[in-house]
Amino acid sequence: MNALVFAAVVAGGGAAAVVRYFVSRALPVGPGRLPIGVLIVNVAGALLGGVILGLAERAVLSSDLRLVLLTGVCGGLTTFSTWSVETIDLALKGRWRSAVLNLVGTLLLGIAVCAAGYLLAR
Amino acid sequence: MRNALAVFAGGIIGTALRLGIDRALPHSDTQFPVSTLIINTSGAFVLGWLVAGLWTRPAVPAWLKLLLGPGVLGAFTTFSAVMVSLVSLGAASSWPLAGLYLLATLLLGFPAALLGVWLGGRIRHLPAADAGARS
Repeated sequence: MNALVFAAVVAGGGAAAVVRYFVSRALPVGPGRLPIGVLIVNVAGALLGGVILGLAERAVLSSDLRLVLLTGVCGGLTTFSTWSVETIDLALKGRWRSAVLNLVGTLLLGIAVCAAGYLLAR
Repeated sequence: MRNALAVFAGGIIGTALRLGIDRALPHSDTQFPVSTLIINTSGAFVLGWLVAGLWTRPAVPAWLKLLLGPGVLGAFTTFSAVMVSLVSLGAASSWPLAGLYLLATLLLGFPAALLGVWLGGRIRHLPAADAGARS
């Protein structure tokens, strides 16, 4: 990996983190409610990741571009830490329904759209 | 603008750290993604500790919370890489490995977040305790 690819990966990750920040700020979470902003961003990133995986398999994308888009953009856009901490927070506040919905809903939607994106793009 | 800049800078750092761990522990699309598991578990722990502990302290500036939270840890950890690995492993019919990876991600990541929140709570800033100390 040359310096240009490295710079593109980290810049992509930084820019995608800003997109995530703006989406979650535009959809503020009510106390005890589902953190919908992070859910949307994570599911969108999973879809994008599936499409990129499929395109890379067809050799439409170079390995460098795959790294920039998957590790940089998708990796920076989506987050595991906020998803888990917000779910734990809901559970600790006794909001079990929201906690389970956040965990299971994000997971099922994420797997479904990622698989669909991959199958359509490959 | 300043807020976005803090998130951007943190996002660069978090992505670089993740890339470094990915390079140190490389895995193909059909192998168990140890690097992502380590990244997500440790990131969930640290964010839990920050949110429940350090961030309750009034001396911590907003820009630092944005730099470390949505920035460094948000970009360091990843949901998409988990999904992409599950789809890759599924496409290769490595179902036991996919199941193991999903279970490991959930059974390590979520307890790590809980442990972080619990340990962070021990350094939580309590305004009531402050008032008590002053009186």
